[in-house]
Amino acid sequence: MEFWYSLVAGLIIGAIFGFILQRGRFCMNSAFRDIIFLKEYRLAKAVTISLAVLMVGLAIFAFGGVIDLNPNPLKPIAAIVGGLIFGIGMVLAAGCASGTTYRVGEGMMGSFIAAVGLTIGAIMTAMGPIVNAKNNLQDLTVGTKLTLFGEFDTTLTPVFMLIVGIIGIVLMFFFWGWPAIKKKRELNDSLIKFGNFKEATFKKGYPWWVTGILIGLILTAGYVASNGVICIPGGWMDIHLWITTTDSVMWAGFIIFGIIIGSFVSAYIAGEFKFRVPKDGFTLFKQFIGGGLMGFGAVTAMGCNVTNILSGIPQLSLHSIITGAFIVMGCWIVAYLLFMWKQE
Amino acid sequence: MVDITDTLDCTGDVCPYPDVKSKRIVKKMNSGDVLEILIDYPLSAERIPETMKSMGHEVLSVEKTGDSSWKILVQIK
Repeated sequence: MEFWYSLVAGLIIGAIFGFILQRGRFCMNSAFRDIIFLKEYRLAKAVTISLAVLMVGLAIFAFGGVIDLNPNPLKPIAAIVGGLIFGIGMVLAAGCASGTTYRVGEGMMGSFIAAVGLTIGAIMTAMGPIVNAKNNLQDLTVGTKLTLFGEFDTTLTPVFMLIVGIIGIVLMFFFWGWPAIKKKRELNDSLIKFGNFKEATFKKGYPWWVTGILIGLILTAGYVASNGVICIPGGWMDIHLWITTTDSVMWAGFIIFGIIIGSFVSAYIAGEFKFRVPKDGFTLFKQFIGGGLMGFGAVTAMGCNVTNILSGIPQLSLHSIITGAFIVMGCWIVAYLLFMWKQE
Repeated sequence: MVDITDTLDCTGDVCPYPDVKSKRIVKKMNSGDVLEILIDYPLSAERIPETMKSMGHEVLSVEKTGDSSWKILVQIK
């Protein structure tokens, strides 16, 4: 990709992504953890909606020949180990890969330390001292590009994506959307308040369904713009290479800069930007280690939460589905041990 | 003005610590007590009042005190 195209398109898409992440407080760590911890499902619903939107969006562009789908091949051991360690890491880091990145733009220094840990962990695993461990875990491959409905096929897979996506959207509307609309009608509340559009867009947190749809749309746009998935650890590694070598920043790196800028602008407008540090040093250390575990997990599982969950699952990649399941499991185990065990 | 029984300072904490700490502290408080929660993390500032309501306590006020700073007053039921 040409440098100037990466710079302009990467920064714009990254910035819009960062803006939505901050407004929607969209973080998979919170989304998955709150299912068991608070019995609170709004962020999890936002994740599900974005998955359905991505399925339909990516399928349409694949049919149009605009993008080439490229689901991860199934590497079961890498998916299980990488996913589990990523999930454990994200609780300790207090944010998934994208959540950590957008919180840097909010001024959270703990997340900045987690991002540094993420970069170090990813570099060590991708090209450093533990590259062999990763290679061993990735050694076992089943099939070539297995999806939920058999081997990947350039025409059939998008058809399945479209079907699953549309069924998903219909079911979600039926079970989540319709009851909410009915309830609002009973209360005589207007469904969309256009009067305070500016306030709702720039000052308030977004409702979960708005967040889910917008995340799905911007990630579809990101895929179209680069003909590939967005990878957060890859972006941080890109920035590392830019610092330590004469390589210029590439697409993924500009996405990271964009997310931080977009999130900063969003937080600043809403009066939510502030430099913040955890009160005790141990929390910072924990966030650093958590970031490192996420870096290892993401490189091993061939993708962070954005690559595997928000791009691989919409492409029905079996590898990404297994990775996603183990990210959730790792998150739940640590969240249970840290926040719920012996406390209820 | 209400009398504040206890103050929980969660500034600098990210989720879920403000939620965990506030849940824990209200369990130890008595009926009628007022808890003041200081917080600078947007998601928890939205979540804590809802969690408190679902636990049956009364949220007296949620006040934005500055850039990314909130003060939440909860009365224990």
